[in-house]
Amino acid sequence: MKALPPFNHFPRPLGEWLKGQGPESDIVVSTRVRLARNIKAWPFTLRSSPQQREELLLAVFEALKSIHLEKSVVQLRINEVPEVYRDVLVERHLISRELASSEGPRAVVFGRGEMLSIMVNEEDHLRLQWIKSGLDVDRAFRALAKVDQALERRLPYAVSPKYGYLTACPTNVGTGIRVSVMVHLPALTLKEHVQKVFKAAEKMNHAIRGLYGEGTRAFGDFYQVSNQATLGRSEEEIVESVKAILPKILEYERRMRGQIFSDERPMVEDRVFRALATLKNARMLNVQEMMSHLSLVRLGISLGIINDVTLATVNEIFILGQPSHLQREEGREMTPAERDAKRAELVRTRLIAGRN
Amino acid sequence: MNCDCCKKNEAKVQVCDVEQNAVVQQFAICNDCMTLLKRLLFDPATPLGPTSEAVKQVQEMLSSKDKSLTPVEAPGKLTVADKQPEAVPACPSCGMTLAEFKQRGRFGCARDYEIFSAHIDPLLERIHDVTPPQHRGRLPQGEADESVTGKARELAALRNQLDDAVLAEDYERAAQLRDRIAALSSDARSKPGKARKEGP
Ligand SMILES: [Zn+2]
Ligand SMILES: [Zn+2]
Repeated sequence: MKALPPFNHFPRPLGEWLKGQGPESDIVVSTRVRLARNIKAWPFTLRSSPQQREELLLAVFEALKSIHLEKSVVQLRINEVPEVYRDVLVERHLISRELASSEGPRAVVFGRGEMLSIMVNEEDHLRLQWIKSGLDVDRAFRALAKVDQALERRLPYAVSPKYGYLTACPTNVGTGIRVSVMVHLPALTLKEHVQKVFKAAEKMNHAIRGLYGEGTRAFGDFYQVSNQATLGRSEEEIVESVKAILPKILEYERRMRGQIFSDERPMVEDRVFRALATLKNARMLNVQEMMSHLSLVRLGISLGIINDVTLATVNEIFILGQPSHLQREEGREMTPAERDAKRAELVRTRLIAGRN
Repeated sequence: MNCDCCKKNEAKVQVCDVEQNAVVQQFAICNDCMTLLKRLLFDPATPLGPTSEAVKQVQEMLSSKDKSLTPVEAPGKLTVADKQPEAVPACPSCGMTLAEFKQRGRFGCARDYEIFSAHIDPLLERIHDVTPPQHRGRLPQGEADESVTGKARELAALRNQLDDAVLAEDYERAAQLRDRIAALSSDARSKPGKARKEGP
């Protein structure tokens, strides 16, 4: 198998959002705020020529320089990033799959412990994103708004008084804001109550969807709660509405966790410990298996059944066990079978090293 | 797991219907079919029905198509309340037509919002659940300094010319262009520090 070209733009420690810290981190993995922006001088990406995309990219780099952000961030032209590393960026939530696989001049700028990421020439000219660990909508929003407001003095954004920030897709127009909170709902999933939450969220004009891994089904009971509407409400109203729905979800998940723990303790303990035993002993693990077992281990940690593994370790394994991260670690391309073996090895060593 | 719509691609997303706090039906959907499904769910012409109905519609759309067509090419029913889409002129800036917008679900430039305004308002009302569609969030404070975008234009043009000059082996011109690019791109950096270093 082919050795990977050297590529050293990723800081070793993983992003801040995987720390397993922050408010409500037993359930909330991370909070992400995203802003979609387009620049007046150019057509949207769909209609931009390569020359125009290049101009825009240079304008964005120039603007970052003029707000003195360029020193603290990594700027990568996606065309210059070897393919496996593009997937690493995707697995780290720094870029979208679309940006990784599209064509023409395009880039990502990221920094601040990988909390900040700016995609250039995605569907919109700019996709600004801030991710924090735990439930921290206000701070993520404030941090991102600062970057946005600094950029708007250098880059004339496409706006209209009626429609607000103009975006390529009508689902993002207005504020261009998407607030997404990644929640882990193993008890609700176990008790098949998760759809009640879907329903409640839908009523409040919010969307919940499952998160998925590499060509697999379940991403270990992780769901994303986010606002649907971006037009007709202020940014603050949208932030508040997402914040308002979360306590209900958290309370519901905690109630279910309490209930299964008191009513079905042997069953829960059995499932949790079997999952842990599998992770500690397996010699081949595919992504799906890893995810579903890790989900139970995560539940076990927050129920206090497992005391010698931290949430941070579990969160890290989720990312490091993804296919491209494994290949980067190994420094070469691997077959699926090789990856499964490598993944099992990584999980075993991390679980032992990550003990409290 | 294969997609419940096309039975072909790998399913990436799970969608479901809920009634009386219970899941009545669950579907695994691939990314392509999800695009179609989303269009149906955002379709202002139909009330927001259960997901199962939308799934059925996507299945029908796909089975009525030539098998060689990929789901993405199937005409999404991003219906805009409009009787004669042909009567709406294309955008003079980017050439986007209402028909193409309906098919892609994406605009080509900022002007499209203005040009298709009457046709997209019902769509926006439905997507964002707001009548009339009116922005209530913030807007950029004051005019942006457009020197950055102008400079980027100039730089990109010079780089293009440089490529041409190198290709044509016109090294004298290439050298001149290189100097201009270097001068232009160092403009914004701290000038005093640089001046001192360059002293004799
Ligand atoms: Zn499908
Ligand atoms: Zn246009």
